[in-house]
Amino acid sequence: MREIKILYLYPDMLNLYGDRGNIQALKYRAEKRGITVQIDHHYLDGQAPNFCDYDIVFSGGGADKEQALVAVDMMQYKEDIKKAVEQGVFFLLVCGSYQLFGKYYKGVEGDMIPGLEIFDFYTEAIQDRNKRCIGNVVIQTELNGKQTKVIGYENHGGQTKDVTSSFGKVLKGQGNAFGATEEGFMVENVIATYIHGTLLSKNPDITDYIIQYALERKYEEKIELEPLDDTFEEKCREQLLHRFLGEE
Amino acid sequence: MKKFLIIVITKLIAKMLKILGKNAGNLPGNLALKWDKSILDYFKITGKVIAVTGTNGKTMTNNCIAQILKDSGKKIVSNLQGNNMETGILSALIKNSSLTGKIDSDYLVFETDESYVPVLYQKIPLDCLVVLNFFRDQLDRNGEMETLVLKIQKFLETYNGNLILNADDPNVSRLSKANPKNDHIFFYSVEKCAESTEELREAAEGTYCPFCRTKLHYEYYQYAHVGKFECPDCHYGKEDIYQLLTQINVENGTFRIGENDYKTQYDSLYAFYDLAAATSVAKLYEIPEESVKQTIEKFVLNNGRLEKLEVNKSKTIINLAKNPTGVNVSLRFLQKDPNPKELLFVLNDNVPDGKDVSWIWDIDFEKLENIERVITAGLRPYDAAIRIKTAGYPPEKIIPCTSIKEAVDKLYETQNTKYVIANYTAIQETRKEILDYQKSHRK
Repeated sequence: MREIKILYLYPDMLNLYGDRGNIQALKYRAEKRGITVQIDHHYLDGQAPNFCDYDIVFSGGGADKEQALVAVDMMQYKEDIKKAVEQGVFFLLVCGSYQLFGKYYKGVEGDMIPGLEIFDFYTEAIQDRNKRCIGNVVIQTELNGKQTKVIGYENHGGQTKDVTSSFGKVLKGQGNAFGATEEGFMVENVIATYIHGTLLSKNPDITDYIIQYALERKYEEKIELEPLDDTFEEKCREQLLHRFLGEE
Repeated sequence: MKKFLIIVITKLIAKMLKILGKNAGNLPGNLALKWDKSILDYFKITGKVIAVTGTNGKTMTNNCIAQILKDSGKKIVSNLQGNNMETGILSALIKNSSLTGKIDSDYLVFETDESYVPVLYQKIPLDCLVVLNFFRDQLDRNGEMETLVLKIQKFLETYNGNLILNADDPNVSRLSKANPKNDHIFFYSVEKCAESTEELREAAEGTYCPFCRTKLHYEYYQYAHVGKFECPDCHYGKEDIYQLLTQINVENGTFRIGENDYKTQYDSLYAFYDLAAATSVAKLYEIPEESVKQTIEKFVLNNGRLEKLEVNKSKTIINLAKNPTGVNVSLRFLQKDPNPKELLFVLNDNVPDGKDVSWIWDIDFEKLENIERVITAGLRPYDAAIRIKTAGYPPEKIIPCTSIKEAVDKLYETQNTKYVIANYTAIQETRKEILDYQKSHRK
């Protein structure tokens, strides 16, 4: 029986906007195909996790206070995380964790929170404290050569810049910064995004992309995931794309 | 425009709306504020102002306090319909003032949206603030919960009036330290009972000590992060309790305060917390306990907050739930009921609901047992259906409906107990459809 090992970082602190739903969606869609899913949690001040030992690492968004504590804790694993990314472990990073994987986060007063410097992008807080990129968001992305739309919700003050390869093109909403044309960051084994909703809940193509990637890397063979009954997801997407983009 | 004129006009508008059978909950206040930003200064308030704030249970606690005071013979003004922002409270003042702005009442009881507490009570003299709890709620509108707590904390730094706090919510009781000079702080608590657990059951907020960031130790949890806690490091959490509910029997709706036995129509632990808050106010203002007991025994809200109905021979329980904790505590009812039952979950995403529906992923739908069907409806029925499916509930038993009427018709196709949970803008339409159904099927 095939197995996927997931590492869930700081579940009790990075737990805003239902981000834990991403773990549930991955588990659900993998188990429906008879794949065993093991989920390990890493907490603040916990034992150092062996990042390279996992197939998927997930890290979500937290409130400012929690985010700052997590940033300090995560910094001690900087080299391990870098190694895991290079070795091809899949990283799904939402909101604050997206920002943390860049060079730095610059606060409103110019205060700098150093990032893990895994990627070259950086984030600056918007000067006006009352302004945030908030609202429903739809982006166009490509997974294994297949075009698909991602639907979700964004809510961030941070403006992320210098993104070399984005997650997708913005069709509705703001994206990486106010008026940006691109949303998130993506390479083959990393999706970093501001999208909640929960991200994976109504975007099963992405969930399956991650599962397929993890299995193919682990078992070194071509994997075809069997289709699932996605009636609810399809109807949900149809309804929301119609509402947000006016699509039939 | 002259303030006098504004009051005359807005009072007239309120009267006209009333004649037309429309709710004048916000409009008069909205207009008055538009015409004169400092309109609040016009009112001469001589009665004591009591404000109730917190994420969940504001309307229930507010209306219970108002009822207690009223039943004991006091004259009161209150926003009983739940219009709890500046315009709503202003509307209540307009409707109850003389043309010269005089308000003739002993007490003014206002449920107040958390973010409006500093705005309003810098202008209106506050005698007592009651803070119930803080949960995640509509994050896209209010900002993070922590921002809200800090807003209220800042207001409290210079506040010297009475402050009634839930001792069992670490996000609330921390407010007692905002102004060390204020010695009018009163804690309430609800004792351990059959529903208390040693493990956290639901999504929680603030499980770390707000002062030293150590993980809080809980002797027991009541619901979500509400429970008996203490910081193992700085001992935050040890407070003298002013009002303690003991001998809790949730199912029978009985509890004890001191030597007195109380009975309530409510059979949920979180309602007991609201009653603890309301009776704290009664104690503070020295309302005779016999009168309080009588009010508590009769008190019910008929507006979709734990409302019980009989519809087409099906027992129906309707509850408003706007956030994960609200839904989780409502789901506890289902879990306790051993009989065949069905759930209707109505999810809207209008501005007052919060346009972001991610919060449904923090609801513990994993615990849906012995439920024959789940019907989802509202503006986001499929989001709800996906959530419930992913939690492990059989998808073939989930029926998403895009119309609430259709959902209600489907719900009553079978005869068993119905649990209805709807969020903010969904509750009134859902309630109306159920009442319409009840009317048209009455034989």
